[in-house]
Amino acid sequence: MPKWKDLQEQSFLESDARARAIGLLDEGTFTELAGPFDRFYSPHLEVLGEAVEFDDGLVAGVGKIGKTPVFVVSQEGRFIGGSIGEVGGAKMVNTIRLAIEFHDELVTKYPDLSDEEKPVVVISFETGGVRLHESNAGLLAHAEVMDQLQKARHKVPVIALIGSKVGCFGGMGFVAAATDAIVMSEFGRLGLTGPEVIEQEMGKEEFDSSDRALVFRTTGGRHKYIMGDCNALVANTIAAFREAVAELAALPVAEFEKLRRIGSPEAVERQLRGVALAAEMQPKDARDVWAKAGNPDPVALTDMPLGEFLAGVKRLSV
Amino acid sequence: MALNTLEFHLKIDEVTHSIDTPIHLGVVGSGDMEVLMEPKELEGAVSVRIVTPVAGFDELWKRVVEKFVSETLLGNVHLEINDNNATPAVVLLRLRQGFAEATGK
Repeated sequence: MPKWKDLQEQSFLESDARARAIGLLDEGTFTELAGPFDRFYSPHLEVLGEAVEFDDGLVAGVGKIGKTPVFVVSQEGRFIGGSIGEVGGAKMVNTIRLAIEFHDELVTKYPDLSDEEKPVVVISFETGGVRLHESNAGLLAHAEVMDQLQKARHKVPVIALIGSKVGCFGGMGFVAAATDAIVMSEFGRLGLTGPEVIEQEMGKEEFDSSDRALVFRTTGGRHKYIMGDCNALVANTIAAFREAVAELAALPVAEFEKLRRIGSPEAVERQLRGVALAAEMQPKDARDVWAKAGNPDPVALTDMPLGEFLAGVKRLSV
Repeated sequence: MALNTLEFHLKIDEVTHSIDTPIHLGVVGSGDMEVLMEPKELEGAVSVRIVTPVAGFDELWKRVVEKFVSETLLGNVHLEINDNNATPAVVLLRLRQGFAEATGK
């Protein structure tokens, strides 16, 4: 097991799922649920003759950050692109379910707990969505996770962390959008249809997925921050993500309603104003929108240091 | 089409030592593997279970694990490997990493 102290300054982008799960929590507090020694691997992959993994590419566990009990889910992008199949999906669903049950038990027993002492769920996404080998089971898992997110609402805040290699795409892009708060690094990528799939379906003229700069200014953390698709943009270290979670965990659960992107009439109206703006503007590039948000030199935004970016950037308000 | 499972026992004559705590290491990425190492009473032997999509390399697997066991003088350990087309060099590297982690060396 990696040393906790070494993990803190480690690149979040390059950390594997378990390193992220351990490093995000306080030192020595991580307990893995359904870990590799329990050997819950995918029965479907086995039948297809595909390599299996003892944790099915998903690390689930529980621990603490300060006074907050934290239920953590962390996806491993190197195992079949972090895809969600039956086993990994069940682990995700049940971790959130456990957090809700724990919350209910806790507030019944100790009605005057502070916000900081109530549990949160943290999901470190690194995934392209459904594992195609297990299509129906994978889709069902997505639906069940959505169901748990609804049940967790107004009780247990669910915080999405996106800053890993694969990004967060496909069905899991929907799931991330339905969480209460999203924290990204500038190397995180978030979307529904991934860049390669857009190119494959619509052609290279529509979207050139080999153009890294284009991909990042359309799906990357800086763009998502300007658009309001993520709530916070942090440095690319496990410690920076951990700090962001600690700050969010201290908020009253009602405050998370303001951070959400969907799920209220106000949020729907805001989304519709965004659609109307897009129809009016007909932007050809993300930079057009950055300029519209009030950034006079959108080209410079891409390469300036993160601190400078955060200090000066104007975010889109519709 | 199904996954191949290889199982074998190895025993060396020299004095062997086990590990104190079970460890898990590695990610089953392309060209990589994961290993579980668990202490287990096997009268000084090492038991190995390998699950791999690749067929036809049983002897090579055995030789790589034999090399690992003879250089670490390991005994009373159960190894479980999930492989995804790792080369022998990668296999040996991961096993050595696992051993280093398990023994603190």
